[in-house]
Amino acid sequence: MRERQHSTATTRWRRSRSFGAAALTAATLALGSAGTFSAGVAHAASSGNVIFALPPAVVPNYIFPIMSGTYYSNVNLYQFQALMYRPLYWFGQGTQPSFNESLSLANAPVYTNGGKTVTISMKKYAWGDGKPVTSEDVIFFMQMLKAETSIWPVYVPGEFPDNVVSMSAPNASTVVFHLDKAYSQTWFLYNELSQITPLPQHAWDKESAAGAVGNYTATPAGAKAVFNYITKQAQNPSAYATNPMWAVVDGPFKLKTFDSTTGTTVFVPNAKYSGPVKASYSSLTLEPFTTDTAEFNALRSGAVTYGYTPPQDSSQIPVIASQGYTSSPWIGWSINYFPMNFNNPTVGSIFRQLYFRQAFQELVNQPVDIKKALYGYGYPTYGPVPIQPKNNLSTPQEANNPYPYNPAKSVALLRAHGWSVQPGGTTTCAKPGSAMGDCGTGITKGEKMVFNLQYNNGFTYVSQFMQQMKSDLAKYDGIQLNLTTAPFNTVLANAVPCKGKTCTWQMENWGQGWSYGPDYYPTGESIFETGSNINEGSYSNPVNDANINATHVVSSTSALYKYENYLALQLPDVWQPDPDFQISEISNKLSGVSQSSLLNFTPEFWKLHS
Amino acid sequence: MSDVVLPNSADDSDAGVPEKASPRGSKAILEVFLQNKLALVGVVSLIAITLFCFVGPIFYHTNQVISNLANANNPPGRGSPLGTDFVGYDELGRLMVGGQSSLEIGFSAAILAAFVGVLWGAVAGYFGGLIDSVMMRIVDALLSIPVLFVLLLMAAIIKVNQLNLTLIVAFFAWLVPARLIRGETLTLRSREYIQAVKGMGGGAWRSIFVHIIPNAIGTIVVNITFQVADAILALAALGYLGFGLPPPAANWGAMLSQGITFLYAGEWWLIYPVGVLIVLTVISLNFIGDALRDAFDVRLRRR
Repeated sequence: MRERQHSTATTRWRRSRSFGAAALTAATLALGSAGTFSAGVAHAASSGNVIFALPPAVVPNYIFPIMSGTYYSNVNLYQFQALMYRPLYWFGQGTQPSFNESLSLANAPVYTNGGKTVTISMKKYAWGDGKPVTSEDVIFFMQMLKAETSIWPVYVPGEFPDNVVSMSAPNASTVVFHLDKAYSQTWFLYNELSQITPLPQHAWDKESAAGAVGNYTATPAGAKAVFNYITKQAQNPSAYATNPMWAVVDGPFKLKTFDSTTGTTVFVPNAKYSGPVKASYSSLTLEPFTTDTAEFNALRSGAVTYGYTPPQDSSQIPVIASQGYTSSPWIGWSINYFPMNFNNPTVGSIFRQLYFRQAFQELVNQPVDIKKALYGYGYPTYGPVPIQPKNNLSTPQEANNPYPYNPAKSVALLRAHGWSVQPGGTTTCAKPGSAMGDCGTGITKGEKMVFNLQYNNGFTYVSQFMQQMKSDLAKYDGIQLNLTTAPFNTVLANAVPCKGKTCTWQMENWGQGWSYGPDYYPTGESIFETGSNINEGSYSNPVNDANINATHVVSSTSALYKYENYLALQLPDVWQPDPDFQISEISNKLSGVSQSSLLNFTPEFWKLHS
Repeated sequence: MSDVVLPNSADDSDAGVPEKASPRGSKAILEVFLQNKLALVGVVSLIAITLFCFVGPIFYHTNQVISNLANANNPPGRGSPLGTDFVGYDELGRLMVGGQSSLEIGFSAAILAAFVGVLWGAVAGYFGGLIDSVMMRIVDALLSIPVLFVLLLMAAIIKVNQLNLTLIVAFFAWLVPARLIRGETLTLRSREYIQAVKGMGGGAWRSIFVHIIPNAIGTIVVNITFQVADAILALAALGYLGFGLPPPAANWGAMLSQGITFLYAGEWWLIYPVGVLIVLTVISLNFIGDALRDAFDVRLRRR
């Protein structure tokens, strides 16, 4: 998902295989040691409040797990909703982005009928009102999702839930999906079943507040009506802690208070949580901050239990350590990029030229960006698969920049394609046309390389990236970038797939790329396949689409390697450095913390010492 | 915005004699002004700052258009007496360039605000009645709006450049001079020389432009000095909040904002020099404004 403002950056995920099925082994990651959990052990009860610092200017603002892209943030997904409404399948083993069956609400899926039938057996979990989590709760989610695919951010036409042609719940603990064809079992678990969050059908399946609970979602029209009803409730955040429907949770925590104005959120342990570990402290507070400086001030004063040091203040880490904190970079399973709008009616024809994107990319100096703007707390992005944490899914090509910083090569590339390059001035097209050595289809004689780029003003490092890129593009290639800034949400709202005369945005950089989840297996259909809801720049390449689709049916990594090596060279977006999610500062009074690269966290494992 | 205590030129002058600045009057004004040592300090400082910003780049050459991230946040040293900023611009050169835009926008906005405010206030005060009520209620309404909020809103929806920023800052700055001049006009319009103009068939506009505004010149000049200071601070606030001129343009407020980000990193050269320049400029203008107010006050002049 797209990350919302984090102190330092993004996240990436990884998916793995390890849930037992031998068929998955080859397709999964070479994972290192797992986390330090002690699953199955209930901590001794203790008191105390754990204060977790939220990323700057980011607050939880949506409680219903079926949501549009507007609310599809890490904070909402993993630090808010997932504490109350657990996904069917949990991913993340300690710091590794692998399947975690022990924290899942169901056993690993079983594939039959040549892989076209998936059977899911539910574990014995219960809702906060004592009712069991059943197969009907999975069907309930699926019916609403099928009725509202247009709003689901990671929806790709023809894929989930379209590829589930029928489903049934033969008994309370079994769900059966019939698929349109056999898929890679790794991919289907990590990218499709991963999207499911069972919801309490017995409490939420109603069309109005006054109406009775029924089985309305059995029909598409009924499912829409129920979805609309729940959405309406979710749009009243001031009632999150008081509306009884939100108290029907199956996660380890439930809401105690929620300040819809500030975003301050207080959870208390769900006494009826039926998972392996129950929280041992009395409350968990998600503390919002307007800036990372404000958060750092709070950290220095000891006002947070689990906070972060902004990268520009990394020199202060020893000081923080002397105050009783342990520093630990939190690396996500993500890539960082910003899109060009291929459908822009005026400059889209330039963006569609591969040589142009190559020339552009060759003036992005990622090593210097990481060293000087991220203080070393980040990694380069050279392709669609994250290179960190260490894994066997990214290829050597991705680890070694195919388009390293090279101004001379960048200039030569433009000149070789009919552009009159004016270093320090404005480059124009001298040879229009579509033949070899011409500027390319749709580009007119004299057309200038002048572009608009809006970027997120919330992070210093994004400003540093963009200002340096603007300078280099002007200095060497004569490409003029008109930089403007806007808040994160504005940039994100502008960067949407579009077409026609009103499709006027050119480049948008929210600074945090994409964090793989719930598409944990980085096959890219959510962000790079033609027609995806969040393929912002409307990149469309039949070869890439075919490569992506091959990863969905081939269980080995060969298809993934082919896909990523091809796309890394095609530059569907502009790759830029991917900062660590944050430099965590964890109080020495807090133990049991492991930082999942998937950014979901399991605070029920934490133990607060006095 | 500063509210200014008015020099009441009309009250203490001969009722029937317009107080146009005569050579003798100008000399008296200058004498009082020069007696104010703080004012002299202010003038010297302002001249020095202006020279630093506009003449300095002639002697101290830096590239303030092409950044060099590899040199970011270097401490003061050889080649960069005040170090480099967060994208590698030479900080000393940046202060000069940032000062240019800050001073240009500050003075332009102040003069524009004074022009509009004087005209608005004089018309309202001279005609009085319904016209006065309507015009001044507009002023009151605009004054009731939180200025910073509107500045941010306008800066967010308008493409920011130097001209737009000047207009945005001036949009609210004219309200105070409008009120001041309106009050001044209410007094002046009852003077005998204004009555004489009317009696001889002179029009309203002649009275306003030839008699009222020239006699309020003291108030206007004093107000402009404070307006410049206020405009520079408003610009600094906008820049601080991230709504200043887009890069590579610089202004002191944005520079200070960026410097604060590196507060804990000990990169003082990004904070203190620009902070000192902002404070020094504003204080200088306030010293000058105070002295001008005294100088235009006939009670403080030697006869």
